[in-house]
Amino acid sequence: MAPKPLKLALDRRLFLSLAGMGAGAAALSACGGPSTAAGTGPSETALNFDGVTPAASIDFWSNHPGKSQDVEKDMIARFEAKNPGIKVNLVTAGANYEEIAQKFQTAQAAKSGLPALVVLSDVWWFRYYLNGNIIPLDSLISQLDVKLDDFRTSLVDDYKYDGQQWALPYGRSTPLFYYNKDHFAAAGLPDRAPATWQEFAEWAPKLKATTGAQYAFMHPALAGYAGWTLQNNLWGEGGSWSRDWEVTCDSAESVAALQAAQDSVYKDAWAGVSSKESADDFAAGLASATVSSTGSLIGILKSATFNVGVGFLPGGSKAKTEVCPTGGAGLGIPSGVTPEEQLAAAMFLQFVTEPENTAAFSAATGYMPTRKSADMTAVLAKTPQIKTAMDQLAVTRVQDNARAFLPGADQEMAKAAAKILTQEADVKTTMTELKATLEGLYNTDVKPKLKA
Amino acid sequence: MQPAPPPAPTPPAARPRWSARSRRDFIVFLALALPNLVLIGTFTYLPLLNNIYYSTLNWTLGSASATVVGLENYVRFFTSADAPKVLGTTAIFTVTTVGGSMVLGLLVAVALNSRVRGTTFARAAVFAPYVLSGVGVGLVWLFIFDPGYGVLSWLLRGLGQQSPQWINNPELSLVMVIIVYVWKNLGYCAVVFLAGLQSLPKDVMEAAALDGAGSFRRFRSISVPLLSPTTFFLLITTMLSSLQAFDLIRIMTPLGSGTSTLIYEAYLQAFGAYNRAGYSAAISVVLFAILLVITVLQLRFVERKVHYS
Repeated sequence: MAPKPLKLALDRRLFLSLAGMGAGAAALSACGGPSTAAGTGPSETALNFDGVTPAASIDFWSNHPGKSQDVEKDMIARFEAKNPGIKVNLVTAGANYEEIAQKFQTAQAAKSGLPALVVLSDVWWFRYYLNGNIIPLDSLISQLDVKLDDFRTSLVDDYKYDGQQWALPYGRSTPLFYYNKDHFAAAGLPDRAPATWQEFAEWAPKLKATTGAQYAFMHPALAGYAGWTLQNNLWGEGGSWSRDWEVTCDSAESVAALQAAQDSVYKDAWAGVSSKESADDFAAGLASATVSSTGSLIGILKSATFNVGVGFLPGGSKAKTEVCPTGGAGLGIPSGVTPEEQLAAAMFLQFVTEPENTAAFSAATGYMPTRKSADMTAVLAKTPQIKTAMDQLAVTRVQDNARAFLPGADQEMAKAAAKILTQEADVKTTMTELKATLEGLYNTDVKPKLKA
Repeated sequence: MQPAPPPAPTPPAARPRWSARSRRDFIVFLALALPNLVLIGTFTYLPLLNNIYYSTLNWTLGSASATVVGLENYVRFFTSADAPKVLGTTAIFTVTTVGGSMVLGLLVAVALNSRVRGTTFARAAVFAPYVLSGVGVGLVWLFIFDPGYGVLSWLLRGLGQQSPQWINNPELSLVMVIIVYVWKNLGYCAVVFLAGLQSLPKDVMEAAALDGAGSFRRFRSISVPLLSPTTFFLLITTMLSSLQAFDLIRIMTPLGSGTSTLIYEAYLQAFGAYNRAGYSAAISVVLFAILLVITVLQLRFVERKVHYS
């Protein structure tokens, strides 16, 4: 005989029980996540580490910028030898700045698993500050006697806000102009980077005609950091993404600059747009020149089968100098870990930014030495191209607020650039739309959190 | 004659009580069902409730505090310029991938159902992409589509043509992802359709052939209607999986330019560059509601037209 199915009649008692369980589950769901009480913002008070002893073990989250895993391990080994009481666990927390930020934000939401030290890029540190995720380093800098004056001013000042220091520079870079010396020679061009984009536009047809490369120039991949490198084009023509907090991407100068970029792809047809990484495309010989980070320098020199030249970024018709943005990553200390971990992290941070270590990091990656007193003699003897990146630092310019400080602005800029450079969209219309989007980001995500 | 004694007062009716057997059955039921109920409750329904709660907050991921905004996130989504784009992309992606996988899957199944040599190998080859990692598939296809040094670009250059900007151009990105998604999933439809084709009654086919029906007529008038349970099953499963497609989109178009379906937009808003956790939760709830409505409609109306032999 088939078993009789169990029947549960829904009587009043069962209904009330189920309703109670449902209400309990709903209440439980409301218990997780953020607090809806008065908000917590950026740290207001200076931290005091007097009497704190450093933690015995800390986690250091890195994405190993510039393929720096080996040099990071080496620095950790030397730090542990110097400080036997502190163990540093190097954690690969992502393949790029976005992935490491994603992991860090998720750990913040989960309120567990935070590192003591984290790599934070130029477009992420400010929102960590806004969310109160990182601590100001001033008291630690003072307590540990970190030589802040010896840091390259423009690099260390990037992390100053509201009178406090929120991070220290680590894998810092600028874009560089890379060119194929063999192609330039074959085209009868001088062995240097062009002074302006107008000059390169004159050179480009010769390069296309003589070299056999697909393109004279490869625009950086849009999914990467188009908003970063396009600042060079904008600034050269007197434009910008923004001035202070005013969005100016639709100004006549900005539109002219991006129109010239579009013409290089469509009207004049000497430029392509990289799909993944323009440094790889350039090293593979697809293009005679490109713009990419100084962090790509060592990789290009290793993989290219031709003579590589590097130079300052070209200027434009309105500005020939100070048209290069700084970029890259710094190191910050989360607010959600213990003071002991914060102190140990600060000691390690101090160690990795010491002159000899920043020189070693620079030699391994191509990133710039962050300390003025770093002895780069040996590094420059081996890789003289790094000198160009160091010299260019003197003519860098602080990034536009819209690109560096608005959450998601980099993505919106990349999408707009994709429309202009791959769909031949009208530049003025696209920039007008972008302006509305950027202003929306400022008004909803940043302005309410800024101190009056 | 003595008058009849008054009837004894009826005792109050006892509350119906479970018999010992019912109690035992109920305990067995709880012992068997409770572990699963706890797991489903903890990992499915509790997060679902959490998500609905988060959708009522203005919460930046990473921030310890949030403000309750009621339905503002929903209003913001449906009144933004993004909503038509995201919903349109979701509709195009779902319709083309479901339609493409099912139509091509059926054609492949018909081909595999024929008695020719090598069908065993062909079946394995057709099904293999379905079990491959979406991440690996996405990376390999990115190399194929790369306009600089991809295989497709090389072939086009051989024909004197420039490769389209598959990866950077938002419109072509969607086409690219749809092609790869259909390629990866048509094997699943083919195998399920093949099983359906092989279970069709042979006597009906033979009778139709005797009546003079050609192979196309037999396929159109007999095979397709008799395959309706299989088609219905595939329609539901492929539609639900298309609406939840993530890995290929994430790997091939990390910015989501042109490929931002509802689920990918929810991911981008919370875990991409924007960190709008509450807004993202509201988009997730919208996706959940759409999935629920589709499932109910399919079960309520489409299933009635399905033939079960």
